[in-house]
Formats: sequence, structure tokens, C-alpha cells
Amino acid sequence: MQDLITSTINTFDVRAQYPDSDAMNRLEEYFRSGDLRAKASLAISANAKSIITKAVAKSLMYTDITAPGGNMYTCRRYAACIRDLEYFLRYATYAMLAGDPSILEERVLNGLRETYNSLGVPIGGTMRAVQAMKEVTADLVGTDAGKEMGVYFDYICSGLS
Amino acid sequence: MSMVAELILNADSEARYLGPKEIHIFQDFLKTGEQRMRIARFLAENEQKIVQNGTNKFWERCPVTPSNSGVERKTNSCMRDQGWYVRLIAYSVMAGSEKPLEEIGTIGIKEMYNSLEIPIRNIAECMQCLKEEAVSMMNEEDAAEVAPYFDFIIQSLS
Repeated sequence: MQDLITSTINTFDVRAQYPDSDAMNRLEEYFRSGDLRAKASLAISANAKSIITKAVAKSLMYTDITAPGGNMYTCRRYAACIRDLEYFLRYATYAMLAGDPSILEERVLNGLRETYNSLGVPIGGTMRAVQAMKEVTADLVGTDAGKEMGVYFDYICSGLS
Repeated sequence: MSMVAELILNADSEARYLGPKEIHIFQDFLKTGEQRMRIARFLAENEQKIVQNGTNKFWERCPVTPSNSGVERKTNSCMRDQGWYVRLIAYSVMAGSEKPLEEIGTIGIKEMYNSLEIPIRNIAECMQCLKEEAVSMMNEEDAAEVAPYFDFIIQSLS
């Protein structure tokens, strides 16, 4: 995986250059945002279960997807869905700490759409749940950190679509 | 890999969030970012001077060496490599880890210079001169951050 620091290094190393001033400014901003990212990660890890519960209530719970015949019907499938949402939240939090989405690409999104399609998991419903997680998380961590987390939730959605 | 990536991968291997202690390490690491960026900027701005002075010192100590044999191509290659190592050290200072330096510049370094028929001891001496020049231009605190990376290169040549 990469973080903002290593992705910057890799980008400029192939050109045998020092990072340009834009890249340096982005890094400095990242370094200044350490406390914000740290607090957000602690808040999310302490509330991970309730974030998922609220997000599911907001997006999936009262729809056809949980009714007989839906893809979340049967406890086993429901549990699998919750587990995946927990993965998304944890990896989005990692990516937020890293300031870089590469870990999402490598460990979550790689092949996920194909897997979901073959299992009949609806992409649209998954994206609604991720968007709901984004809103619930922003309520919890505040505007600035919520915006940063939003980048990675959106990244998951665009990787699925 | 940087310290941030190490912390994350370590937590991920146990499928958990970063714990309070790891979050502290993360915060402390990002807090030192300003100093590390300042050092990286300094190295970028002064690379040529460091390399020029380091080369002169190197030739004084080690006059019989390919870069001082009057073949311009060899001199240029030697100075180019020195500049590259200063750049890799700037990367490592930014990352707070020897990993970038190691992954890009020290794994295979002996084999490479051996195959180029450049005496390893001379390269080590050259790096020592480069270190002395770089350190002499910095304050004590910044020098202490940079010096271990030069030592890391020298050790990888021994």
C-alpha cells in the first residue's frame, strides 16, 4: 500500500526529481492534519458498530432487499452484508489516515464488482449503504474529518460502479 | 514504505483499527512533518553544492578513483549518483524511514558498483564526504535527522 508520503515519493522518483511545490504543500497540509485524522480514526473505531447499524437503517433495512427474495434476506446473508460494510468502514478509515486510496484498491475493490455480480449482490444497494455510512460518519466526526472520509467512501462507490 | 503505512498494515493484519498507542505514534510522526519537510527542502535546494563540495573532499582523500581519472563521463556519472543519493535521503527524511532509500538505492548497491568496476571502498568514502558536507551546512537538530541515512548507505556498502 501507499500513503500520501510514499505515493509522492514514487511519483517523483521515476522522474529523478524532488517533489514540486504543489506536492510539498499537499504533504505539509497532510502533516498539519494529523490530530484531525487521529481523532476521527479513534471516534470511528469506538463507534464502528453503531455507524453500520445506523447506515443500514438509513439505506437498506426497510427496503425489498431485506424482504424474502431480497439479497439480504436470511440471517446469513444479512451478516455477510454487515461484515462487508464493516470492511468498507475500516479500510476507508485506513485510507483516511494514509491520505491515499491505494489500500482500498488493493484490499477491497480489486475484483469486488465481479464478485458481487457473481453472487447477485446488488451494486446499487451497496452504493446506497456506503453513501449512508458517509453521512452517518460525517455526523459523528464533524465536517472537516467527514469531508476527508467522504473522499474514500466515494472512492469505494466509484470503484463499484 | 513509511511509518504510516507500517502502522496500518500491522493493524490490518489483525483486522482491527489502530489502537490508542498506534494513533499516538501516528500523531507524533505527523507532528515532526514540518521539520522533515524543511530538511527535504534544504537538501533539494543545496544538492548541487553538497555534491560539489563532497566531490572535492572525496578527491582530496581518494585521488585515484574513476571519477578523478580525467574521463568526463565518469566524473559526471559519479556526481549524478551522489545527487541521486542526496535525493533519496530527502525522500527518506520525508518518510521518516530508511525504506525509500533501501528500496530504491541500497538493495543491490554493492553488486551494481562491483559490476561497474567502481571500488566499493571509494564509494563508501565518497558517501562519507557527502555526509560531512551536508551535515556541516545544517543545524545540530537537522543534522542528527539526516546523518543516519548517510550512515545507512555506508553500512550497506560494507
